[in-house]
Amino acid sequence: MSANLSNIRHTHGLDVVKPLSITTLILVMMPLVLLPLASIFIFGTSSGLRSFWNALTAPEAVFALQLSIVTSFWATVFNVVFGLFAAYVLTKYNFWGRNALIVTISLPTAIPTAVAGFALLLLWGPYGILGRFLDPHGIHLMFTAAAIILANIFVTFPLAFGVIKPVFDTMNQSLEEASATMGATRWQTFWHVTLPSLRGAILSGALLTFARAVGEFGSTILVSGNLAGRTQTAPLYIFAKFNEGQVEAANAIAIVLALFSFLIFSVLFLARDWLEAE
Amino acid sequence: MKDNIQTNQAAVSVEGVSKKFGAAVVLDDINFSVLEGETLVLLGASGSGKTTILRIIAGLETPDSGRVILHGKDVTELPARARGVGVIFQNYALFPKMTVEGNIGYGLRLRGRPKSDIAEIVNTLIELTHLEEHRRKHPSQLSGGQQQRVAIARALAYNPEVLLFDEPFGALDAQIRTRLRREIRALLREIKVPSIFITHDQEEALELGDRIAVLNQGRLEQIGTPYNVYNKPATEFVATFLGAANLLLGIVNENRFEAEDIFLKIEPDPKIRDGQSVKLVFRPEDVFLRRPENLTQNYQPLVDGIVEEVNFVGAFERVVVRLNISTRPPILVTRPKSETTVFPLEPGVKVPVGLVRFRILPNYTLASERAARVI
Repeated sequence: MSANLSNIRHTHGLDVVKPLSITTLILVMMPLVLLPLASIFIFGTSSGLRSFWNALTAPEAVFALQLSIVTSFWATVFNVVFGLFAAYVLTKYNFWGRNALIVTISLPTAIPTAVAGFALLLLWGPYGILGRFLDPHGIHLMFTAAAIILANIFVTFPLAFGVIKPVFDTMNQSLEEASATMGATRWQTFWHVTLPSLRGAILSGALLTFARAVGEFGSTILVSGNLAGRTQTAPLYIFAKFNEGQVEAANAIAIVLALFSFLIFSVLFLARDWLEAE
Repeated sequence: MKDNIQTNQAAVSVEGVSKKFGAAVVLDDINFSVLEGETLVLLGASGSGKTTILRIIAGLETPDSGRVILHGKDVTELPARARGVGVIFQNYALFPKMTVEGNIGYGLRLRGRPKSDIAEIVNTLIELTHLEEHRRKHPSQLSGGQQQRVAIARALAYNPEVLLFDEPFGALDAQIRTRLRREIRALLREIKVPSIFITHDQEEALELGDRIAVLNQGRLEQIGTPYNVYNKPATEFVATFLGAANLLLGIVNENRFEAEDIFLKIEPDPKIRDGQSVKLVFRPEDVFLRRPENLTQNYQPLVDGIVEEVNFVGAFERVVVRLNISTRPPILVTRPKSETTVFPLEPGVKVPVGLVRFRILPNYTLASERAARVI
């Protein structure tokens, strides 16, 4: 269809619209996206690879990267498993309040991340609605790695759910019925028939969640306490070092996070095609 | 409508099954049986309840009342997975991420059969359904007909109690339909597994069924061999749904059907008494527009008529004739080529109308509803 569309001729002779629109696209994208990204790499390597390596291997920097990866990993595991469960329940069963639940689950997309962090503080903080009951027992969720995971879960939950749910919606119900008539239990049907059809969506959901969680700033700065070497994630480290005037240190981590995103998105594109091919 | 086959000799029995969805009655006291190795076609328009019957037998739907018996065992309360029926879904429902072999072996893997057994059975079925070149392909790489064969092989793998076909030709174009119908008919004759087909296509029903059960709005109107259902329709619905039929209102009097100047001798029928309002039902191909020279057939003159329309429709000719009685009802007549060449007709010609075969059915609808009609 698209091939036919581009073959329609609107002009005689040279068509200037094509080169013009492509040039415009590149000229707009360059200063908006490509140049900022390029400048990270240009600046980060300008004073030599040695100083870049030193900045990167500073204990606090390594810790921040590790913390980001670990907290994002657990948030991803939770969101994929629970996103799958939520999508399954909300597709299979029709009940009163189902649509309200779908809206609620998707709500964090629209909530500013700082608001999300603040809300978590008000709930789980030492004087929070629930936190005040935990505090006397010595359970402190806020200003720990757990708080970062909670914030990541909150902010990124709609991502995995949003990718998995549409696949459930379009899945042919007779596949599951066929499996049942052939002798499968509900679990066997889910495992052998439903889940394989969701492989692509699960992988996309996981990678999107992870990419988003690794970069999360607004909510984590509020709930983590931003303590260097204890609760400081990579984005918080960048912010802190920049504020301290240590631009090189901030830049080294920025490069790692940027490369990380490139990697995730490459995997996302390649693996999805591969998983969806039959 | 009762089916007179005993439950104990049947492969499948549906006994007194009723089902409502909300206030709508979808099935009303359905009874029928399918014999070992027999193919039964459930024929009905959409909304007649045929899919619901199939789903109830498969265990995908629960009846409000009644029982489903498979080889003597009451399975009404069993879930679908414990019934061991094979369903061929309209869209085949092949598992997209499994190969042809994977699909066919799925039911056996679920039953925990040893790998060597599975491989052997899968091979046999692949040969039976001529899928040798496609064994490692995924469903999306197969044609509609090939997908259908995979669906059948997949259901056959675990020796199903019965095969249930849910409008299996619905998604295919006319030419392929006809070819696949014959292929499946031949396959079913070979494997001798009791089968139930559902369809809305009368031609399909006549060709595939050892017997046909005609459904109308959740009720079983008639069950019988294709010959009997077509030639001896029990109700007006069956007569008109299975092929075209002409209807003429009249009354019965001393073993005669009477309507104005029309008098036809009829067989005595204990269910019809003198003076009762009845319908004369006759098929377009059972009408003669001249007195046949060779009266080996049961010819009876009806009344004269005027030819109104003559249409050539390929293998035969379709003629509309208005009968010469006060309501001047139009009737539909089809004539074979052998007849049209020796006895051509054109509009306006007066012809004697006679019948070689007809049915008399009690007139349950209001007599004033229509004097006659062409379907």
